[in-house]
Amino acid sequence: MSESDFEQLVDRYYVALYRFALTLAKLEADAADLTQQTFFLWASKGEQLRDSSKAKSWLFTTLYREFLNRRRHEVRFPKVELDDAPEDDMAIAPNMNALDGASIMKALREVEEPFRATLTLFYLDQFSYQEIAAVLEVPIGTVMSRLSRGKAQLRQRLLLSEEAPGNKVVSFGSKISGGSLG
Amino acid sequence: MDNREAKFVLNAYRPGGQDANDPRFAEALEQVRRDPIFQQWFDNSVAFDTAMTEKLCATPVPSDLRESILTGVKVARPPKWKNRWRKMTIAAAAVLGATLGVLIWHNTRPTPVAGWQLQALDAILSSIARNESHFDAISSNPVDLVKWLRANHAPVEEKLPNGLDKLPTIGCKTFFWRGKPVSLICFTLPEGRAIHLVMTNVSTESDRAIKHDAKVIQQGQWATATWREGNMIYMLALEGSRDELQHYVL
Repeated sequence: MSESDFEQLVDRYYVALYRFALTLAKLEADAADLTQQTFFLWASKGEQLRDSSKAKSWLFTTLYREFLNRRRHEVRFPKVELDDAPEDDMAIAPNMNALDGASIMKALREVEEPFRATLTLFYLDQFSYQEIAAVLEVPIGTVMSRLSRGKAQLRQRLLLSEEAPGNKVVSFGSKISGGSLG
Repeated sequence: MDNREAKFVLNAYRPGGQDANDPRFAEALEQVRRDPIFQQWFDNSVAFDTAMTEKLCATPVPSDLRESILTGVKVARPPKWKNRWRKMTIAAAAVLGATLGVLIWHNTRPTPVAGWQLQALDAILSSIARNESHFDAISSNPVDLVKWLRANHAPVEEKLPNGLDKLPTIGCKTFFWRGKPVSLICFTLPEGRAIHLVMTNVSTESDRAIKHDAKVIQQGQWATATWREGNMIYMLALEGSRDELQHYVL
């Protein structure tokens, strides 16, 4: 890969990779380091990929693996039982207009792994659920389960972050009863 | 598919509508169209996801990140020139590592330099000698290596001491010795030999005791010079005599 091709690759993905890393690593310096390390690994290994269309998936997968590797050295990875995650409920939702980017990021960072990585890839609007499954190397059903439960966790965190006087909780609509949605 | 199942599936439906033609969502979307209450849930869900996407994609990115990535990878690429200088440098590093290693591990005689210098060189130069890829960054341009070290918060001043920035470089390495960050840059001299600069910040009383005037000593076949400039301690090592090394010590 020529330098200009590599530069194009960086331009195309470094922003999304950084934002993905930022929700995982929490500290800006660590996120920047993870992003840089991902491109470094690309330069030393990823260029051997013959199918350039898989570059995006390779970069995100590599960044996630790198994050997990670092994390293993720091703390034991907390296991989250999917069945223990809260049920989805759109009846009460946060007032998104009243929340700034920092509050959104804070709430997202408080969502437990592995929901957080799944949600971030989904909201970065770059990946379909099939692509998320490929990046995180999990079955499609697991991605859907993590999205469902992760969104419920995220809404709870956002509701908790609504502390400003004008940020009253508003309903997205009528409460959907158990009768309607089972 | 009941509404709960449909809701489970639609949580993976991207708000931008990219998945509208995905057959996996077809049945769930049909269910949405049939049930006004479910339609309201879906609209709210899409609105929430859209807002999340907008907010997340507005997260600022460090202004220097792009340059840092490009510079970091550029200096890490092995240079195309693979000449005898590189081989000689690697060989020289091996000899230095072995020499210093003997002094450390067998303690055959008192060593007039600090332990971090000996152990650092032994560990790092030996590992680099075994495999040149152990350099963290490789470049023939010292400016690139200094930039890389600074970007990675390793100890280095913007201007290298004693005119070393006029010499071509092989690569650099960062590591910790007893929790203390240390940087190493390997240069090539005009005749092909290598010269190595080790840098670390002052952190202890014994560090502060190191004088501004370089202390040049002979360690077997190697000469080393150690001095302090402000908050930075330098050690320069060369396979050769004290007189030869003195040329690079101001």
